[in-house]
Amino acid sequence: MNQTATTAASDPPLPIRGVSQGTREIWANGLWQGNPGLVQLLGLCPLLAVSNTAVNGLGLGLATLVVLVLSNCAVSLLRGQLAAEVRIPAFVLIIATLVTVVDLSLQAWLHDLSRTLGIFVPLIVTNCTLLARAEAFASRQPLLPALHDGLAQGLGFALVLIALGAGREMIGQGTLLADAELLFGAWASVLEIRVLPQGWGLLLATLPPGAFIGLGLLVALRQHLVSRKTQGRAAAKSAGQSA
Amino acid sequence: MRLPGHRLRAVVSIALVGLVAALILAGVDRLTRERIALERERQAQAALVQLLPEASFDNLPRQEAFELSPGPFGRPLPVYPARRGQELVALIADVTTPSGYSGDIRLLVAVDLAGQVMGVSVIEHRETPGLGDLIERRKSSWIDQFRGRSLDDPAPERWAADRRGGTFDTLTSATITSQAVIEAVRASLETLARHDPDPEPMP
Repeated sequence: MNQTATTAASDPPLPIRGVSQGTREIWANGLWQGNPGLVQLLGLCPLLAVSNTAVNGLGLGLATLVVLVLSNCAVSLLRGQLAAEVRIPAFVLIIATLVTVVDLSLQAWLHDLSRTLGIFVPLIVTNCTLLARAEAFASRQPLLPALHDGLAQGLGFALVLIALGAGREMIGQGTLLADAELLFGAWASVLEIRVLPQGWGLLLATLPPGAFIGLGLLVALRQHLVSRKTQGRAAAKSAGQSA
Repeated sequence: MRLPGHRLRAVVSIALVGLVAALILAGVDRLTRERIALERERQAQAALVQLLPEASFDNLPRQEAFELSPGPFGRPLPVYPARRGQELVALIADVTTPSGYSGDIRLLVAVDLAGQVMGVSVIEHRETPGLGDLIERRKSSWIDQFRGRSLDDPAPERWAADRRGGTFDTLTSATITSQAVIEAVRASLETLARHDPDPEPMP
């Protein structure tokens, strides 16, 4: 935990224009420096379990995003009202309630979507990102930053899920965006792309070990990009000093 | 016993959060319960229509459901009778086999009065994407090979995947999945054959 915190702090901020400094930091943190999937390594249980196809990843990503935004807002509104000793159980209660509300509402009003997302929504309870954001951020911040943080962290998590799902699906099944019609309706079946001929996939990628290997590769890729960037900057700095 | 002030505050705040959570959940449950039941029923009915030609029956088979016991795999077998007018057209067995590659596979097996399979549909499974999930009709036509089969066609010992010396096609790299589905279909036929073909609908 400490390790990741220092790594996150030493990374340079992403240049995002048009938003205030604080908001920009929140977004850079959620998407890259403190990405819940790649840096904080939170929410591994749903992340590894549901990332076998791009569409599954997208489904869980969207569902998590919604619940994370709601829970951040609820916790932010309650900040200062809760006694410190019971804040964690209170957050757990809030998150569980929101997950159930979202689950029931999906089943009632978007039933076809809930048949696809149905298995993912209860999984969100096991995602520690929600509790971590509630404790580390939302409980100390006003509503608007908490909302931004929920969106940024949720989007960061969703992007990792989609990347991992797309990679595993391409290598394992040889397709991309298979079953998109389950999420977007009948027209979306045209989105499916066959990358490899039928039967050429490497089965390992779709099975659980493929999830661990794939996530490991993604984390390594991110670390590689970060270290190359810092090395490049250090080299430029020393070159500037010697000149 | 008197609680110190900060303890009291903790107890009150967690109790309040719990109370509000319970109220919200109760409210949402009341709001959604009926709609969810309705949607589930609609979905289940749609699965039946996939199995039998739409015009071939005019009742709501699931509302006349009954159970045959003992059923296959040590559980009672739910059966939905499809009727046209008063006349029985087919029995639909709702069978769940525990022998899938990754757990339960739930199938609907429609059987006509002569004991011939009219169609099989997979409703729930967790088989491997790209291999075992070809048992779904929208992914491959493998599941259609049961149409027209019955307990003596093929002979009982040939009710198996061809990899295991049977008559039926085996899905590539999914012998266990294939075998589980084949056995579930056969077990449903056997259970149906053991019982009266037209029991009275449950009151």
